[in-house]
Amino acid sequence: MKVKNRAAKSSLLMAMPMYVFTILFTFGPLIYMFALSFMRRQATWGVINEFYAGNYLRILEPVFSGVFAESFKLALITTFFVTLFGYPFGYFMAKLPPKHKNRAMLLMIVPFWTNSLMRLYGWIIIFRSNGILDSVLIALHLSEKPLRLLYTYPAVVVGMVYVLLPFMIYSVYSSAEKLDWSLVEAARDLGASKTYAFLTISLRLTMPGLLSGIILTFIPSMGLYFIADILGGNKVALVGSIIQEQLLRARDWPFAAALSVALMAATSLTLYLYRRITRSEDLEGLV
Amino acid sequence: MKKLVYVLLSLVLVTGLFAGCGNAQNPAQEVAPGGEAAQEDAGEENSPADSAPAENPAPENKGTFTLFTWEGMFPQEVLDGFEQATGYKINYSVFDTDETMLTKLEVAKGGDYDLVIADDYIIETAIAQNLVQKIDKSKIANYANINSAFQGQFYDPTDEYTVPYGSGVQTIVYDPERVDFEITGYSDLWDERLADNIGIIANYRVINGMALKTLGRSYNTNDLAEIREAGDKLITIAPNIRLIKDDSLEAELLTGEIAAGVMYTSQVTMAKLENPNLKVVFPKEGIGFGIMAGFIPSNAPNSDAAHAFLNYILDAQNGAKCFENLGYYSTNAAADELINPDYKEFLTLPEDFEQDNMEMIGNISDEANELHSTIWVEFTAACGQ
Repeated sequence: MKVKNRAAKSSLLMAMPMYVFTILFTFGPLIYMFALSFMRRQATWGVINEFYAGNYLRILEPVFSGVFAESFKLALITTFFVTLFGYPFGYFMAKLPPKHKNRAMLLMIVPFWTNSLMRLYGWIIIFRSNGILDSVLIALHLSEKPLRLLYTYPAVVVGMVYVLLPFMIYSVYSSAEKLDWSLVEAARDLGASKTYAFLTISLRLTMPGLLSGIILTFIPSMGLYFIADILGGNKVALVGSIIQEQLLRARDWPFAAALSVALMAATSLTLYLYRRITRSEDLEGLV
Repeated sequence: MKKLVYVLLSLVLVTGLFAGCGNAQNPAQEVAPGGEAAQEDAGEENSPADSAPAENPAPENKGTFTLFTWEGMFPQEVLDGFEQATGYKINYSVFDTDETMLTKLEVAKGGDYDLVIADDYIIETAIAQNLVQKIDKSKIANYANINSAFQGQFYDPTDEYTVPYGSGVQTIVYDPERVDFEITGYSDLWDERLADNIGIIANYRVINGMALKTLGRSYNTNDLAEIREAGDKLITIAPNIRLIKDDSLEAELLTGEIAAGVMYTSQVTMAKLENPNLKVVFPKEGIGFGIMAGFIPSNAPNSDAAHAFLNYILDAQNGAKCFENLGYYSTNAAADELINPDYKEFLTLPEDFEQDNMEMIGNISDEANELHSTIWVEFTAACGQ
């Protein structure tokens, strides 16, 4: 009993820095932001310390709720394409022989050594007028004049999918790797077609990976506004970009805080509903 | 052995952290380009005859002059010249935003710094907070060189507190090779021939102001109905907008991604330097502008030095060097004539220029500002459709 107590005490002590860190740098700012969102902007700059709920009412205006809808739409489109490309990728990667598996893994990781902002600038070079893509298409006689793909909605979607794809691939991969292939073989022996075996066995068993992949894509894509800025020429109004706008240009910190609180509430609600609907208790790589 | 390396490495990292903290506590000593860096190239770049009279090669040290402004506001040549001519030693302290400057000045209670150069709107606030002292014009022999177009503005209506240093004038730039008609004002930007071909900066006061101007209103109107009307007008330009971007918009014009742009003066300067065939238009509806100006904080430790510095940069020759380097419109009328002809066209106002047609973008009411920012969100969303 005594020994156990001491062990518990020492592990608590060891975990102390973690607690302190979390309280200081996660809860602290959160509380600060929450409090700030109920204050008012001062005429010149700074905030007036009095209770004011107007920031939240302002979010309900059609312009701002429209922006939330737009962010939601972009996140859904992104998640759809990421799933479309990421799931088969992760699934078949897990089926590769070990040597190739490691190589594929390495190739996936290498781009992470470069800053994602840099990699997005690479897309600018590809998409820009008379850029790489245009030159190739014109050389192949597939198009006659520059397509002007940069600063369009599809360019933004490509950028989002590109940045978030690895998260889907990893989570599907780690699920598929644990898959007991003998179950699939058994189903096939018992007369199931390839598709039927996939739908009933493989898909079911890789579901946790797929679901956590969806969360890992959807949540960040609600907030990734810099891609829309860089590849979309700032023309797709997302929650993230208005928060930045309010902080830096309008100098309305309380409204920016209210928008952030609303964004967090929206993502938490989505997460909650998602878990309720899919009844997913154990998500691969997530709690 | 390996362990030792780790320990050493982490020690280095930790000390690095603290070294960073230590510096920040003393704002007055942050950066001093006038110090080491200046001494290094003073010998090569500066022929002493330029700035200091030959009979007085080394004036006695008169103390430190602390200048507080953005980075890169003056050519090194001018800073060195001032030190040699007057004997003050420049301590160049930098801020990155006007708001940081005001906070530091508030903390220092108007002390610590001898001269601050910042944007117009924040100076209005600083004066209202009694952080600024009046300028003694008798100590500035070159005061008359100031271009009167940039005086008597909202932040200092009676010119008691400030000396302007550079102005951002809102112009339209376009590439005549890719625009087959002449642009003379903002209303031309609504033309269908510019479909998906215009780039604008992400500054809603400037861009909404563009619509206000085409409707014949003031940039600074507090009338919400007028702002709303301008907002509705602005949204109709959306099909022509290819991109909204604050950083290096000029590059997009140079690479041909856009054919026309509404951009910051420094960007216009860079675009023109790269491609002199570009056309710069003073919009016929009216010209908006902003001013950077110098002021002396209320408790400046060395206000004599500040006056001396203002006098030095108001000199015609020194002023010309400054504006060629700064890339903003010259606020020094005497310097205008000395500016290199390559730059002159886009660093000075034309001679036949109508000053009545200019309007500064100043502080407006909270409600008006809020409506502007709401319209901006509607507008960007409309551009994406």
